[in-house]
Amino acid sequence: MTTDQATALPPGTRSVGGARRDPAPPRRARRARRRLVPWFFVAPAVAFFVAFLLVPIGYALYLSFRGLRVEGSGAYGRRVEGFIGLDNYTAVFTDAEFLAGFGRLLGYGLIAVPCVLGLALLFALLLDTPRVRFAGFARTAIFLPYAVPGVIASLLWGFLYLPSTSPVSHLARELGGGPLDMLSYPTLYFSLANIALWSGVGFNMIIIYTSLRSIPSEIYEAARIDGASERTIALRIKVPLVAPALVLTGLFSIIGTIQLYSEPATLRPITTTISSTWVPLMKIYQEAFMNDNLGGAAAASVVLAVGTLLVSLVVLRFFQRRTFGGDA
Amino acid sequence: MTTPPRTRSAAGRFRLARALTAIAVGGATTVLAGCGAGSDEADGPVTLEFWTYSLKGADPAAQAIIDRYEEEHPGVTIRLSEVGGTAETSSKLLAADRADDVPDIVQVEYRALPSLVVSGVVRDITDDVADARENVDENVWALNSVDDRVYGVPQDIGPMMFTYRADLFERYGVEVPTTWEEYAAAAETIHAQDPDVYIASFSASQFEFFAAQAAQAGSRWWSADDEGWTVGIADEASLRTADFWQDLVDRDLVSVEPLLTPEWNAKINDGRILSWAAAAWAPSVLYSVAPDTAGQWAAAPLPQWTAGDPAVPFQGGSTYLVPEKSEHAEEAAEFAAWLGASDEGSELLLDLDLYPGGNGGRAATLESDPPRLMPEQTDFYAMADQVIQDTTIPMTWGPNVNVAQGAFSDALNQAALDGTPFRDVYTATQETVVEDLANSGYPVRR
Repeated sequence: MTTDQATALPPGTRSVGGARRDPAPPRRARRARRRLVPWFFVAPAVAFFVAFLLVPIGYALYLSFRGLRVEGSGAYGRRVEGFIGLDNYTAVFTDAEFLAGFGRLLGYGLIAVPCVLGLALLFALLLDTPRVRFAGFARTAIFLPYAVPGVIASLLWGFLYLPSTSPVSHLARELGGGPLDMLSYPTLYFSLANIALWSGVGFNMIIIYTSLRSIPSEIYEAARIDGASERTIALRIKVPLVAPALVLTGLFSIIGTIQLYSEPATLRPITTTISSTWVPLMKIYQEAFMNDNLGGAAAASVVLAVGTLLVSLVVLRFFQRRTFGGDA
Repeated sequence: MTTPPRTRSAAGRFRLARALTAIAVGGATTVLAGCGAGSDEADGPVTLEFWTYSLKGADPAAQAIIDRYEEEHPGVTIRLSEVGGTAETSSKLLAADRADDVPDIVQVEYRALPSLVVSGVVRDITDDVADARENVDENVWALNSVDDRVYGVPQDIGPMMFTYRADLFERYGVEVPTTWEEYAAAAETIHAQDPDVYIASFSASQFEFFAAQAAQAGSRWWSADDEGWTVGIADEASLRTADFWQDLVDRDLVSVEPLLTPEWNAKINDGRILSWAAAAWAPSVLYSVAPDTAGQWAAAPLPQWTAGDPAVPFQGGSTYLVPEKSEHAEEAAEFAAWLGASDEGSELLLDLDLYPGGNGGRAATLESDPPRLMPEQTDFYAMADQVIQDTTIPMTWGPNVNVAQGAFSDALNQAALDGTPFRDVYTATQETVVEDLANSGYPVRR
């Protein structure tokens, strides 16, 4: 966004300056210098953009067309990196494991996303009611888990899920039941979604809550004079007005789902139900760093990135029409 | 009214797209960031960077080894660097090689050697370490060779042994199994008396164990000759070992779960998992998770398919390699030979609680106390030394062990959960491995 403003500004200043001053010969030189000034200001941003975004993307694209192939003959021929055309992409699209990973994401996402958003909205609305007590404490308490890194949250929950270390299982045994296996199918999806819920609700709640606070209170007063209850206000006024915030948090949650990695990767060593290629990012990691197949991993990354982009655009387009009154 | 929001959201969309692409692609390009070790001058003092997971900088015993070498070799400085286990070390070495910025000595497990050799990142040190050969037994030395060239010096080895709870075996009235048949019978006897107790856990991640057990049965998972590779993961001998585990899992005589998890550790401590068929390094691993059970354990040679046949392969253990692009390859090879093979070096390795591969270190084990897990088993090291002499089954690993390992463990876990045939896992892994070799361009016999 800095780039946009910086480039937008100079044409205006130039015409103002040009109108005021007139000596002919130095004018061209000064004009050339002035033309360079904006470039000078955007240079750092452009440099970072190129070095840390365009070049890596370009390199990943380049890598996705390359792979290790044997040079020479015999059982111990040397593997050399070279151009292999679309082989990596063919492998990605025919890889049942990679595609199955998207299926598992869907199962997880269908549980996690609605739960996270629903609870976040509920908590935000509750905190925004007029007679709420301990609002500050509650807000912090709900937000706090977000500050725990995903890997640590997963380890923590992992201990709570394993029958021998879990207090829940202990309680179940004391009450005469068997140990609970929270890491087997289909409970696993809920167990993973629960970690996302625990750490994600607070963050999304804050966004929705902030959006709620910016609604002018006159609207509520008018509604109350008309005899609306707090529940009606919440459902008929607040929810429609924070719809843009819901779309934003929803989009973040969907992207977060597609990028699911650290929770299953952290839980993998303690359970047999999570394979080394359980979600697409784990598969990419496995290819790149275990199987020494950087090209295949790059191709899968490109596919994942393009897929994420498409999903985001579809979601945005769909909701934009409704929430921002698109084609009106 | 319509235009302003539209432009705003379009810009927002673009920014978002940009962020998305950056995040998704970032993963693949992280490897660009190699490692940042400096290089030294050709003459004068030499600093050798040593990637190892056995010698930890904070461990006084490891530091004492380094100090000793530096004292004897003025001008040489060893810098220890812990970069992770075998898989991590291998991928980091590959990345470091591409970045032309490599360490000088690298420790990996033997199974990673062929893949590093065919990637061209490790140096042929046959001539540099020729003198060390006489200090290492032939079957141990063979672990460091690929295609008749030597690429490493052995640090430690894994003579296969069976570690078990002697007290609980006695309580449940079972003898130490000498064959896998007896093992299955013992599993049944134990589980029948207490449904919470199992003879062992069945962990699909123990890829090397399953490979070793198949080798015991006469299978060769990888073998190479002039015409290329032969993959035997699904040969008849190998499939018989699949049937063996299938039977135990189907009858619920082993607990299906990964090793060394909080869950597994708790069961080891509580006496709900009674044994671990692995190698001579197992007692020190078990001691680290269940020190309170010390004194209740004992060790025995691994069960066999045929009674009285003592032959086993090695399981685990690691080697010191010198990267092809190391600028101090000679000094590095000299250090590796000293630490792994010389009497002095391999004896010092014993202080790190591992089983040294050099003859000097092996001789020293016979004089030392038994592992802390089983202080009463005074013949532990004599037994282990006998196992090494009986380790006559050579293990040849292929250039794509990691591909096999990932495919095998995932599929075996899945099969154990779903109750589908284990034979299919071996067959599918065989296909994956053959396919991968062929894709890379290796000649493979189908």
